[in-house]
Amino acid sequence: MWLWFSKLGSPKWFYELSGRWLPWLVAAMFAFLFVGVVWALLFVPQDYQQGLTNRIFYVHVPVASISLAFFPLMAIAGTITLVWKMKLADIVVKTAAPLGAWFTAFALASGSIWGIDTWGTWWIWDGRLTSLLFQFFLLIGVVSLRSALEDSDAAAKACALLSIVGCINVVVIKYSVDWWNTLHQPGTDFVLSSNKANGPDIWVPLVLMIGAVYLFFAVSMIMSTRNEILERERRSQWVEELVDNL
Amino acid sequence: MLSAANLFCERDDRVLFQGLNFDIEEGQVLQIVGSNGSGKTTLMRILCGLNDGYKGMISWYGEEISEQIENFYQSLLYIGHRVGVNKVLTPIENLRWGCSLQAQLEDEQLMEALSTVGLRGFEESQCFTLSAGQQQRVSLAKLLVSPAKLWVLDEPFTTLDLRAVQHLENLVAAHADAGGAVMITTHHDLKITNLSKLDLG
Amino acid sequence: MTVGNSTPTSAAFLSTLKRDLLIAYRRKNDVVNPFMFFFIVVSLFPIAISPDADKLGEIAAGVLWIAALLAGMLSMDSLFRADYEDGSLEQLLLSPHPLYFMVLAKNISHWLVSGLPVVLVSPVLAYMLNLPAESYMTLFLTLLLGTPVLSLLGSIGVALTVGLGSRGLILAVITLPMNVPVLITGTLAVQQTLNGATLAFYLAILGAMLLASIALAPLASAAALRISVN
Repeated sequence: MWLWFSKLGSPKWFYELSGRWLPWLVAAMFAFLFVGVVWALLFVPQDYQQGLTNRIFYVHVPVASISLAFFPLMAIAGTITLVWKMKLADIVVKTAAPLGAWFTAFALASGSIWGIDTWGTWWIWDGRLTSLLFQFFLLIGVVSLRSALEDSDAAAKACALLSIVGCINVVVIKYSVDWWNTLHQPGTDFVLSSNKANGPDIWVPLVLMIGAVYLFFAVSMIMSTRNEILERERRSQWVEELVDNL
Repeated sequence: MLSAANLFCERDDRVLFQGLNFDIEEGQVLQIVGSNGSGKTTLMRILCGLNDGYKGMISWYGEEISEQIENFYQSLLYIGHRVGVNKVLTPIENLRWGCSLQAQLEDEQLMEALSTVGLRGFEESQCFTLSAGQQQRVSLAKLLVSPAKLWVLDEPFTTLDLRAVQHLENLVAAHADAGGAVMITTHHDLKITNLSKLDLG
Repeated sequence: MTVGNSTPTSAAFLSTLKRDLLIAYRRKNDVVNPFMFFFIVVSLFPIAISPDADKLGEIAAGVLWIAALLAGMLSMDSLFRADYEDGSLEQLLLSPHPLYFMVLAKNISHWLVSGLPVVLVSPVLAYMLNLPAESYMTLFLTLLLGTPVLSLLGSIGVALTVGLGSRGLILAVITLPMNVPVLITGTLAVQQTLNGATLAFYLAILGAMLLASIALAPLASAAALRISVN
């Protein structure tokens, strides 16, 4: 177990392993995406109350749910950075922050498109959107702290610490915003259970889309991690060999 | 008392030192020499625990330092480039706080220390009215009253005049004679008998 | 060599607290500026929105909370700055006492100097903004419990950025979102007690936040300081 753990910390090992996984993940992602999108766009019956834009729901729900995973991911990687000084963990913190900001921004955008049908306006201070908005701010904070601190070692530790603090904070913010907005409509976590009533036509494509977006998350995390590994290890022998073999 | 084994440190992809081994014993003065940018200050900060970007083992009386950091800090006095003197406080107030972290001392002792370093009459003026050398002296007054066994002094002579330099050299020698240890970086030639040197290149 | 008795942590804590209060007393600007900032920001709202008493009364609690939050954040900058620049921070890190207590001492002194005056003057400004009279006590007590939380959280951000030459807005980007829960509780308390809710409930929540941040925030600040001084 310990051996495996320290091996995982080696960027080279991760680079090679992820290189083997990546094609499969990409293939699976496109398969899920294709079936999910076609099903969701062409075969799901139009909601009798809401118009075509309602279908954005098949994008919004998966993206919003995965964007909640970023702070826990960064907090775990940050703890590993601070305690075991593992290089790979810092790379994860570094790549996850901007990626998380993009996912959160996309969740906000798709949420507001969905909102135009549901609420008749592009923006509403709904509990879920509001806490996503503050999560976005906190992620931007981590990104800008990273870019402000030039020393890479101090930046790694500072961002690791801020990720842990931010993760705790996001949870507290989520609860307090929900409380603040007790009048908002129930969160979209309910979809799987309550939409079952609407039949598998509605929820099977949603499950497919959730799978596709989660795979997209994995693929983009792995790809940006690999990029960062190459950047940081550019002076090491194995990277030079890699470049020579191109 | 303090020993470092197989120290390695790199900064910005440049190796500052590797495989560095040394000991400081009671009664010893260790002068760290090396050109600008050779890592003298970094080494001192690593030994004091202000910088943890290193590999290797540092121990205090045979036990790893991180295991007994409070013991170690009770015996350590560090004066860096930034001497730790607040500009709006007076010398006596600065000294009072600086010493209070390690030992409880009477004001008379502190006043005496200040006049020994040549600040008689300046005890109650705010430090921004003092010259850089005088501010340096405030921090050096700590040497007189601190219970610390190990002094780590980073370029303590830079702003001092000739007489103060001489005075500080005597202090360092006396501290070593009394069983303490001193680690010092300076480009001066120290006239101290039991002096050893560590060259970082 | 004169050797005194080694210091108990409580004495080092008090000595640090006293030192910081003394510095604040010497640097009166650091005390007056946050206070004046608070006053000025609050005075801008009637000008920008409307001098109409009813409208002002509705937004008064929110305005006072946001102004207190901003004043607190701006004043935070001085918390570790001078100590970092003159090397006192290194001495603090090298003290044989848990850094937690040293940071807590600095936080307490900082709040006493920059947070407490804002809390004390808040009823006057609440009157000027036509806050309903029965809310004065609520506002005062929630600010009293809430502003220390803002200071404690802000100190983490300050500690993380103390080594930066030009911090500018990064401190705001990092710390302002963290303050949302306190802001929500504080402003809800004022609104909901007007609707008949019990004040004790909100004070309990703010008290819990205060205890949690006293327990945790100085730990994070201490870790952040060690990183920044590296």
